[in-house]
Amino acid sequence: MYIELHSRSAFSFLEGASLPEKLIDTCADLDMPAMALLDRDGVYGAPRFHMAAAKAGIKAHIGAEITFEPFSPLILSHSCSRLHQQDESKDLPQQYAKKAGTPRGLKSTQNDNAFCIPLLVSSRVGYQNLCRLITKMKLRETRKGEGMAREEELQEHAAGLVCLTGGDDGPLANALKYGGIECAKEIVGHLAGIFGPQNVYVELQRHFHRGQEARNRAAMAIARSLHLPLLATNGVCYATSRERELCDVFTAIRSHCTLATAGRLLARNSERFLKSFAEMQVLFADVPEAIANTLELSARLEFTLKDLGYQFPKYPVPEGETMMLFLRERTWEGFQQRYGRASADLQVRARRQIERELKLIEKLDLPGYFLIVWDLVRFCRAEKILVQGRGSAANSAVCYSLGITAVDPVGMELLFERFLSEQRGEMPDIDLDLPSGDQRERVIQYLYKRYGERGAAMTANVITYRSRMAGREMGKALGFDPETLDKVSAAVSTWEYRDQNDTFDHRFRDAGLDLNHPRLRKYFELCVAVQDLPRHLGQHSGGMVICQGQLDSVVPLEPASMPGRVVVQWDKEDCADLGIIKVDLLGLGMMAVLEDSIQLIRNHHQEEVDLAHLPANDADVYSTLQKADTIGMFQIESRAQMSCLPRLQAKTFYDIVVQVAIIRPGPIVGQMVNPYLQRRQGREAVTYAHPSLEPVLKRTLGVPLFQEQLLRIAMVVANFSGGEAEELRRAMGFKRSEKRMREIEAKLRAGMEQNGISREAQEQIVLSITSFALYGFPESHAASFALIAYASAYLKCHYLAAFTAALLNNQPMGFYRPATIVKDAQRHGLKVLPIDVTRSEWNCTLELQSAVSAQHSAKSAGRSPLVESKIGNRHSTLALRLGLRYARGLREEAAQALVRQRNLAQFASIRDLVHRVPELRKDELQTLAEIGALNAIGNGGFPLHRRDALWQVERAVRLSGPLLDGLPEPDTTSPLRPMDAEERLVADFRSTGMTVGPHPMAYHRARMHAKGIRKASDLRSIPNGQHLRIGGCVIARQRPGTAKGFVFLSLEDETGVANAIIHPDLFQQNRLLVSSEQFLMVEGILQNQDNVISVKAERILPLEVTRARTTSHDFY
Amino acid sequence: MPFACIFVPDLPVQALLRTEPELRSQAVVVLEGETPLQKVFAMNEHARRAGVDRGMTRLQVETCADLVLRTRSLLQEDAAHAALLDCVQSFSPQVEDVAPDTVVLDLAGLQTLFGPLPKIARDLAHRASQLCLECSVAVASNPDTAMLAARGFSGVTVIPQAKEAEQLGRLPMEILFAGKQDDAESEQLVETFQRWGIHYLRELAALPSVALSERLGERGVYLQKLARGETSRTLIPLEPPLNFQEAIELEHPLVLLEPLAFLLSQMLEQLCARLSSRALATQELRLELELQTGWQNDELVDRVERGEARQHFQRTLRIPVPILDSKTFLKLLQLDLKAHPPGAPITKMHLSAEPVRPRPAQNGLFLPPSPETEKLELTLARIAAVVGEDRVGSLQLLDTHRRDGFRMQHFAMPQLAAKPRANGNSHSQQNSDDLVTALRIFRPPVAVTVNVQDGRPTHIASHKKKEIDGTILWAAGPWRSSGDWWEQDGWARDEWDIAVQQEPGIAFYRLVRDLLSGRWLVEGSYD
Repeated sequence: MYIELHSRSAFSFLEGASLPEKLIDTCADLDMPAMALLDRDGVYGAPRFHMAAAKAGIKAHIGAEITFEPFSPLILSHSCSRLHQQDESKDLPQQYAKKAGTPRGLKSTQNDNAFCIPLLVSSRVGYQNLCRLITKMKLRETRKGEGMAREEELQEHAAGLVCLTGGDDGPLANALKYGGIECAKEIVGHLAGIFGPQNVYVELQRHFHRGQEARNRAAMAIARSLHLPLLATNGVCYATSRERELCDVFTAIRSHCTLATAGRLLARNSERFLKSFAEMQVLFADVPEAIANTLELSARLEFTLKDLGYQFPKYPVPEGETMMLFLRERTWEGFQQRYGRASADLQVRARRQIERELKLIEKLDLPGYFLIVWDLVRFCRAEKILVQGRGSAANSAVCYSLGITAVDPVGMELLFERFLSEQRGEMPDIDLDLPSGDQRERVIQYLYKRYGERGAAMTANVITYRSRMAGREMGKALGFDPETLDKVSAAVSTWEYRDQNDTFDHRFRDAGLDLNHPRLRKYFELCVAVQDLPRHLGQHSGGMVICQGQLDSVVPLEPASMPGRVVVQWDKEDCADLGIIKVDLLGLGMMAVLEDSIQLIRNHHQEEVDLAHLPANDADVYSTLQKADTIGMFQIESRAQMSCLPRLQAKTFYDIVVQVAIIRPGPIVGQMVNPYLQRRQGREAVTYAHPSLEPVLKRTLGVPLFQEQLLRIAMVVANFSGGEAEELRRAMGFKRSEKRMREIEAKLRAGMEQNGISREAQEQIVLSITSFALYGFPESHAASFALIAYASAYLKCHYLAAFTAALLNNQPMGFYRPATIVKDAQRHGLKVLPIDVTRSEWNCTLELQSAVSAQHSAKSAGRSPLVESKIGNRHSTLALRLGLRYARGLREEAAQALVRQRNLAQFASIRDLVHRVPELRKDELQTLAEIGALNAIGNGGFPLHRRDALWQVERAVRLSGPLLDGLPEPDTTSPLRPMDAEERLVADFRSTGMTVGPHPMAYHRARMHAKGIRKASDLRSIPNGQHLRIGGCVIARQRPGTAKGFVFLSLEDETGVANAIIHPDLFQQNRLLVSSEQFLMVEGILQNQDNVISVKAERILPLEVTRARTTSHDFY
Repeated sequence: MPFACIFVPDLPVQALLRTEPELRSQAVVVLEGETPLQKVFAMNEHARRAGVDRGMTRLQVETCADLVLRTRSLLQEDAAHAALLDCVQSFSPQVEDVAPDTVVLDLAGLQTLFGPLPKIARDLAHRASQLCLECSVAVASNPDTAMLAARGFSGVTVIPQAKEAEQLGRLPMEILFAGKQDDAESEQLVETFQRWGIHYLRELAALPSVALSERLGERGVYLQKLARGETSRTLIPLEPPLNFQEAIELEHPLVLLEPLAFLLSQMLEQLCARLSSRALATQELRLELELQTGWQNDELVDRVERGEARQHFQRTLRIPVPILDSKTFLKLLQLDLKAHPPGAPITKMHLSAEPVRPRPAQNGLFLPPSPETEKLELTLARIAAVVGEDRVGSLQLLDTHRRDGFRMQHFAMPQLAAKPRANGNSHSQQNSDDLVTALRIFRPPVAVTVNVQDGRPTHIASHKKKEIDGTILWAAGPWRSSGDWWEQDGWARDEWDIAVQQEPGIAFYRLVRDLLSGRWLVEGSYD
């Protein structure tokens, strides 16, 4: 028997070519009972390796290859002196020294004599030492991905670790190369001194190299003389020999060269794959003890990641109290606030639920977790940062009472087990939505401060190779020119739906590359092979892990790219798999919009909006929703949502919860949407698969829409406990296991059989559960989102100017581009003013306008009288001024300098502006002039036009010398003709991405009319089935995964947005047109079903409207 | 002083169409780059109308029907350019070679010789057309105006004096920046003019000059002058190339090399005398022979019919150092012709030399003595004639794991090498891991038959080398290597170091198995 104890996975980032799961699969195929993973300078792949091994029944040993600076010359004797004389390597031919002397991953700036020591973990202490060692070396370096450990650190953290002497870049090979056998012996002896002789194994690798064999002979001699055991390993870099190609490509990428120029940096052969006992036995026939020792050492390595030793921190409570007691007190305090004025029945139910939850929290010893999250929320409230818990936490009445979530789970009859269950043995997961940007950062910094630099860290986000990056990097390694690489990257389609034509193959052809050519075929194969392999480590947007004591003894920490941030080496899935509790601090753009809106309303309306106490059944909100007039609103603005809103006809808050949840892959794939809508409209009878399901599905008219309902179904029909039901959901979830699914399905059927449910009903229930569990939305989550959706709708209906300004200040977010948001707001009567350096701030702001001009603008925008009166009455005097942030290329510091100077004194002329704001670059000034932002400057009262300003800017930026610099020079008119409408459009779109003037289509309406193209606003009055033409600017293109290849286009004109549906065949015929044209005309049949209006396309043609580069939001 | 400019639109296409005039009416696309990444470099108007654009890939244009694809030929472009120069030089000796597709000539005093200016312009266009080049020609009072007009207007344009600004005014601004797209300053100016709404030269011409100079500096003023047709400059005349060429037309075709050598000797002496008179030497000799095609030899007739036998026979001698010794040249040419006989009777001979400055007479004082260049070259040429050209020179090791990964370099004199070769040249170093006892390589390797047991060779036999035959007493290996898997000529091999029992004692060999073909070879023997 042989056990591989030195292998590297793709988590060594460009130094290994197989995923940990692949290594384990191969290991299982080879009947290897255990295996060790030693990734480079980290344990990045360890959780996945551990989980995969646990499934396969293989023992997963953990370790790492650690890069070391050369050992101190004071400790080693004279014979090793060359090891420390860096300049000695200069004696060697330069290229040789660089290639042979530098371990694989080391940067050229690092020591050429650095080497890697493979360390295996034998006990928990050893694991903790390894983590601390890695953390020390990583945190010392300011740059990501670098760092070397030092000898003194090794001495400090050697306990519980077993040291191997390594392969080509190990300490033994390094010493042999630079100091000869005496030096090698001394180094190995020194290691034996650090780790103890029983913990040092002299490693032998045989990859059929002559030079390696010489080293092996030296190693055997050293082992004999020092009485150290030999250990055979294969220095594995990939699971099977085929992956050597990828490994070579990674080498080229790492070394910033191409395969053709990498020369001897590439592997000599393909032997670093996982070899079987038989193969290794033949290889080491002369030293059988080296094979036998692998078993002996494996048996000694007791540690696995099951024994991680992670503890959640304790919350400090006043003396004499326990955390549980403290939590109880806080919960009941909250209960009074939340349920104090509720009905008696609700109070009783809530009290019962809270008691039940508290008992379970106590049993699972989780009060600390709840208190820490409560503390975080309390901090946010104190700092006036909007915060709302979401996800499954919203199922908990304790969370609701503590103020973590905003949805009443008792009132809404949500299922607690979805959040926490005894059976599952998993840690709860609380997600907090915070305004994205600085506010969220403050909360993160609060956590760091409270739990210390090594007590809290962000979870990592493993960046993997996806199509674009794969295409680019593989091409680069093969030596393709940048232009070709750009083409391939651009051709990589990101449509969600992929038809049989939408393969890599076709993308290459789209880029003009012929796959029949062997080199391009190889390129293609590499691109496919590298998919999903990790490229580097990023930082997760919000996941934070906290630990009692030192987090760096649980998982190595490293600096993130963002200064002041520390990140763990595992992603959030890995942390969850290993039972590490995390808090997700998610930046939600809409939270920031709400917060900014409230501030603007406070400043300009002198009104205080409290999101927790918004009017519950606002008629305007529901009327707007029913008309699907929802651009900019949270979660209900997409085309798919809009096509459902008029049919659903939301009248209550619960309808919004349903609306948020229904347009999801789960209900769509499970074909729940139509039955629900039909039943809601009374066109279909409400029925249940079994009468016992009525209480569960009554609220959703017999159609399951939420995950909780599926759990309840299992509980009702098959007598599952809450925990078992959640187990069922997980079994059906993303990481599906066929075996587990079959087991649970059998259990489900047995339960149903027991309850006398008919076979037919059983089938229906099993089908709905299997198709739904994967993509369904939890009701609690939908409810949390629905609250935000309602708030956004309320603000848009009643405070359009403030809401739009906040929305524009928090871009990018949502479904639409700013240009569409502005046009929508204008159609609703908001006056949007262009960027003006004499008025604009960095952000979009509100300005008082005379009521007359506002009325005029509303009329010219052609909005409906109803909206006019609503909005006109209240806010006709408020207009939105675009902020300087929308001037493309203008840096914030320059803009802020401009605003500062303006606040001191208005600018007398463009020259004055240039003189006083030296931060502004020429290109920034040109941009400002081009979009008319400088038109209002000027003395003498004559108005400038954009080209006058451009003319002045060009003069002002040329230095006239110190003598003339101080002289004021008035702006004069230029000899240039003013821009015409088309030129203004081009300039606006180029430099702001939008126009506040008329829509481009408005200039061509007469021509469009002549072509028979109807306005978007006309469609409502045209009968169903009529043949017609629509046309406009493409603002969104979608090919959803659930729509069987249909493409949905949103075409905007000056009156609104029209939707077109394109059949897959028609799309194939017009692929380029649909994918890239800015303005399109669609001819087809009008479909008006329950006020959901779209045109079923029969013909698509490009429209000549403007040269301005409009943009669309594509590929959802 | 009138000037004319002649401009060839889409020169790369026209250069190709000169040899394939039948394609004129078709859409022709010229591709550039190496397969498989060829891209469109130029196209004619038909192709442009068919939607072809610069930068499209071969595959993309292949999908368009009725397109004729050709690969860019620099040779043909040079020939077209030479033809263009010939054309204008037949009108005027004062010629400026502005770009491969643009030539300006001074017409001063030519009216009396060739007639009025419009006629000269037409004649120029006509002459170019006879050379298979469709050009536009413009005549104006200054070279720049003529150039802009030729590039902007098709056909023949004559701009009367004082009408420059008016005529040029119709041209788009891009004309000013043609051929300067990569220049950053030009890019900025193009953008500025676009922002200003200046799309035509007349608009630029109309701007106030002082204000313009305040904004765009000298360059702006210069561009405005160009737009107004107000620049004035003298031509930068094209210097006639130094042409060292000798030719002999033979009354009777030559068949034997000996009389050819006699004639060559005469020509070489002439050439050397001419070079010497200008204190020049040469490093490159080109011999071009015209052959008799109707040669009464059945085999040759066949070859002519198959298109294999050429009418022209050409050889080029390149020497690493400049020399001027007709005898050496003669010997070198003789050796070369012996190795590459023309294969048919010779009717005409052209011999040309590329002039260069001669090398200093003496090497450095402290340089080690080296053989005389002339002698060395002759020796090398003699060796090359025997062993083949690709087998003479110095080795340059390639950075690869591939065994024998090297290429041959021509010997270079020490002072001519780019950098002195220190013993640390990276490519010539062997990895110290690979150092073994001396290995005598067999070239070519000896094919052998090998018996294998349990994956190890046990017996070896060779038909060619009788001594390599016997039981393998001991074998170390396999030493496995493979590489270049991304190329078509990927390789993979196993090496064994073996000991074979032979008559006088034990012999050690390097045995190799090519893993792709399965062949066994003995590559060398160890001392």
